[in-house]
Amino acid sequence: MIKFQNVNKKYDNGYEALKDINLTIEQGEYVAVIGLSGAGKSTLIRCINRMHDISSGSLLVNDVEVSTLKGKEIRKLRRGIGMIFQSFNLVNRISSLKNVLVSFVPDMPIWRKVLGLYTKKQKIEALEALDRMNILDKAFTRVDQLSGGQQQRVALARTLAQKPSIILADEPVASLDPITAKQVMTDFQRINEEMNMTIIINIHHVDLALEYATRVVGIRSGEIVYDGPASEVTEQILEHIYNGKLEEELSGN
Amino acid sequence: MNILKAKSVELPNGKTVTFKRSKAPWIILVLLICFYYSVQITGFDLQVLAKRIGQFWVIIGDMIPPNWKYLNKLWQPLFDTIKMSLLGSILGSIFALPLAYLASSNMIKNKPVVAAFKFILSLLRTLPTLVAALIATFVFGIGTMAGTVAIFIFTVAYVGKLLYEAIENADLKAFEAMHSMGHTTTSAFRCAIMPQILPNYLSNAIFCFEGNVRYAAILGYVGAGGIGLMLNESLGWRNYANVGMILLLLVVTVYIIESISEYFRKKLM
Repeated sequence: MIKFQNVNKKYDNGYEALKDINLTIEQGEYVAVIGLSGAGKSTLIRCINRMHDISSGSLLVNDVEVSTLKGKEIRKLRRGIGMIFQSFNLVNRISSLKNVLVSFVPDMPIWRKVLGLYTKKQKIEALEALDRMNILDKAFTRVDQLSGGQQQRVALARTLAQKPSIILADEPVASLDPITAKQVMTDFQRINEEMNMTIIINIHHVDLALEYATRVVGIRSGEIVYDGPASEVTEQILEHIYNGKLEEELSGN
Repeated sequence: MNILKAKSVELPNGKTVTFKRSKAPWIILVLLICFYYSVQITGFDLQVLAKRIGQFWVIIGDMIPPNWKYLNKLWQPLFDTIKMSLLGSILGSIFALPLAYLASSNMIKNKPVVAAFKFILSLLRTLPTLVAALIATFVFGIGTMAGTVAIFIFTVAYVGKLLYEAIENADLKAFEAMHSMGHTTTSAFRCAIMPQILPNYLSNAIFCFEGNVRYAAILGYVGAGGIGLMLNESLGWRNYANVGMILLLLVVTVYIIESISEYFRKKLM
């Protein structure tokens, strides 16, 4: 369970990215976070795995207060949370298999880390993760030879190998074509249903968000302006999330 | 700031586009002035050059034919030279990696540490290899040990500098992903940055070794062992046939090593 209570986030330059966020996400939900660029979607999900610090309030992830964690505890928290990025963030020069194996490294003894030696069990687990994403045949291909959709699947396999309970995805389909984007959204749906993982996605494509996610959170200038089932999102609500800011600016002028 | 006014043209539809004036004429003028004064200051004299250039051809003439009998005395110093540069290059390249890591501002967030290691690397680079070798002969005595240390120091500085630049220019996207899955910074460096910089790193190390063979050849001048000792000796006796033999051997050796190095560096890219 993820629980935001009165969370505020102010950047060093004074910009208020999140304002009084209250949000509870249960284990196994598939949540899409929508809103304009710069509304605070990215900041919101990056607070969950402490890639960003919060300024005030309380943020519980599986009953652990995230904001007070330090060093080793932060890394332990992150071990349980997977993250998917817009530009995949894979290591380009190495094979898909090696990219997946990287997720075992934090738990390995030092000499294995230095030499990059993995056990047979780890290799089998990594191959299984690739197989789960239907990309086993590309295990020994360098990732820079793969298409965008294939690369995002390798990134998903890397995250699955980590066995997280939560997956955060920051614009996972923004650099993919519409067909591949749908496939990746279906992949998320499958993982969500089969493994009961919590999925939180930042997404610009409203149609995809409404089609695949079960819950939608709308953010406008750092505030949650909608939180409810995807099936109940109407034109007016979208207008409110996206154009509200525009209206404010127009009326202000 | 440009003295000349920008030129503008008018398109048939009435829009105007302004061209920036090139700064090249000014730069050329400054270079010419610098050239004139550097000739004045260094006392470069074309007449001396014309008068004495003949002597150059005389010495070249003396070197041909080289003294082939001298060759079997040269193998040992030649291998000493290659050994010196190989060992110094390998140890130096290995040692450069942790130093470069500590000198990279995107890996180490502690600014004084980064500045200190950058300073150490640039300090090492300002030390000419010949001077390093000279100091090393005082510490380790005359011989190849001193030469190896001098080459080691130069390699650390050279490879270290190029390496930290490569690390600072590396793509940090995968590095960010490593952090997000609970890696420490060192472990993220090992997994995300090392694969990116490895080909560059090896290529620089090989290129440095190639240069070191040439450096090592003259280190004998300050007593650091190898073929430079023989060169110094033969030049001292004005024995140009022997000098010719040494130079020929060096040219062939360096050519072979360069070809091997080029082959491997191409493979790496």
